Amino acid sequence: MELKVNDKVNLTIGTTATVKKVLGSGGQGTVYLVDLAGQEMALKWYHTSPGDAFYKNLEHNVNAKAPSDAFIWPEYLTVKEKGSYGYIMRLRPNDYFEFGNYLLAKKSFKSFDAMLAAAMKICDGFMKLHLHGYSYQDLNDGNFFIRPTDGDVLICDNDNVMPQGEKSGIMGKARYMAPEIVAGGKPDKYSDRFSLSVILFMLFYANHPFEGAKVVACPCMTEKYEKSFYGSDALFIFNPNDKSNLPVRGVHQNVIRRWPVFPSLLKDTFIEEFSEDKLKNPQKRIIEQAWQKIITQVRDELVVCPHCHEETFLDLKAGSHKCINCGKDIDVSRQLKINNRNLILTPGTKLYIDNDNIPDGEVGVFPNDDKLCIVRNLTNSSWHVDTPSGKVKVVEPNDFMPVLNGLKISFGSSIKGAPGAKGEILA
Amino acid sequence: MGLLDETVSVPRRTMTLFFLIDTSGSMEGNKIGAVNDAVANVLPMLDDISESNPDAEIKVAALEFSSGCTWLYDEPKLAKDFIWQDVVAGGLTSLGQACQELSAKLSRSGFMQAASGSFAPAIILLSDGGPTDDYQSGLRKLKDNNWFKAAIKIAIAIGDDADKDVLKDFTGSSEAVIPVHNIEALKQIIRVVAVTSSQIGSKSSTAGDTTKQEQVIKDVQDAAKDIDGAEPADSTSVNNVDSSQYIDDWG
Repeated sequence: MELKVNDKVNLTIGTTATVKKVLGSGGQGTVYLVDLAGQEMALKWYHTSPGDAFYKNLEHNVNAKAPSDAFIWPEYLTVKEKGSYGYIMRLRPNDYFEFGNYLLAKKSFKSFDAMLAAAMKICDGFMKLHLHGYSYQDLNDGNFFIRPTDGDVLICDNDNVMPQGEKSGIMGKARYMAPEIVAGGKPDKYSDRFSLSVILFMLFYANHPFEGAKVVACPCMTEKYEKSFYGSDALFIFNPNDKSNLPVRGVHQNVIRRWPVFPSLLKDTFIEEFSEDKLKNPQKRIIEQAWQKIITQVRDELVVCPHCHEETFLDLKAGSHKCINCGKDIDVSRQLKINNRNLILTPGTKLYIDNDNIPDGEVGVFPNDDKLCIVRNLTNSSWHVDTPSGKVKVVEPNDFMPVLNGLKISFGSSIKGAPGAKGEILA
Repeated sequence: MGLLDETVSVPRRTMTLFFLIDTSGSMEGNKIGAVNDAVANVLPMLDDISESNPDAEIKVAALEFSSGCTWLYDEPKLAKDFIWQDVVAGGLTSLGQACQELSAKLSRSGFMQAASGSFAPAIILLSDGGPTDDYQSGLRKLKDNNWFKAAIKIAIAIGDDADKDVLKDFTGSSEAVIPVHNIEALKQIIRVVAVTSSQIGSKSSTAGDTTKQEQVIKDVQDAAKDIDGAEPADSTSVNNVDSSQYIDDWG
């Protein structure tokens, strides 16, 4: 039953929340703005009670707390009343937009930097979710809200989140579900990982990985055909062994434009993840940490072009040093080497050393010599630098150091996600 | 930052929602008024669903039938471009002719020519009486149409004189026939059926064995329970009810 303004719902913790207005309505329930002890929160109220097992699971999730700050998690549960029930969560800030809006080109990322941050944050969320023993089960374009300016992500609809091996009964959408789930299997962390790859593909390329010539040729996408195109006969549009489902010019414009532009590492990973082998063998699918490493390496090759000052991807592996915008060669001789990573240093480029999406350094030029590159310390702690001649220099927060060959940096405790990291400048 | 600025919308399929509206003489007065009011008011809701949906866009087509039948527009239109012209009641109930006409348009040379493909359509039939023509031959033809076979089909039976057997024959099951007994219920059910079938029909299907048709029926039946004057057609027997729901009903 629908609630009305000023209706009160009783929470299991003994307090009540008062309905102030409708925020939105979906297939499962309606979300209301409510007042809870003077604080504005959101209430999801189910159209009809999804049953006792679902309630128990929600109760468990409320007590267990969110796996990370990316999740808009159920915080309080209502008692069962008025023929249904609901849960309270925090409000979604209005500068975040549903992922679907990006697919419809109503919103776009401010930068590739923001796009990569979104990818990293989604991986981080699912890594932590799986780490806590849950699976999400219903990953699709309606679950993510992204801020276009910096790519920060909020993950919603966490009422379907279940412990591994259990089934919420809420089935995901065919276009995002792993083939084995489309065929009727039980969602788990392996099927979540497939959905994650689909979401990442769509985030980067703004088209669906299985929608090419074959799918366009289907005049009426009935449920039977969906089961085939997204399940039993799913075929990646860039499958190197079968080119019958290539993207179609004029229809799949985004992926046609972007596929050649991103570093080959990303292409190779998607070709691998959407291969027949990985489609059929869920256990072989890449884990979230591995995705994070790949996104990190892609980010290491995202630089600001010194000629046109636009963002561009380099592809050292493929030997490409040309700007994707102006076509000019970019000098890649200045690098920061951290373990097996090589961060390319060009003025204006931000340096991300760990995975928290907060830039740790930024490349610039010396105040009165624009031939001399510098790296500014954007962290809150000092860096210690060993010079080739044996001196030790300290780079305080917001201070900078020159980009000179052989300087060895100890980042100390400045990088939260990588304590004790060390790097060396190649120039 | 050229490349990101050049991003275009993902290609979307089209889901066409058909209204088949009985405008025979018996619909005159309140009934036809309620239909006009309800459909005009549901169009903006369909537009909202279409606008924010990365899977498909929703188009609307409407066929009124009485002594003959007429399309309100000669092609499916986006909900926002579909300006509802009130239909007027008068004449007979040529359901057979309407079926023939629908069948002719459910084809790639007819209404189903969307460039990036379609989802199966959703078809809503509203009637308050029984057909006055040879509906069986028309319906037989329609039932051979593959678009029709795959479509979500719901009928709204208005009042006691509606021929529910015919409507059941059209939709394929008695659960898909929703009887309404007053004007307010008619309006609400039109809204619920149009919104639900658009939401489900225009989305990629869910994994598992439930068909879109079954999902629409379930959601519409659930909503009908809360509407005075609408009844869940073939009231589900106790055997089909989840026991926890059953206990709640009695609790």
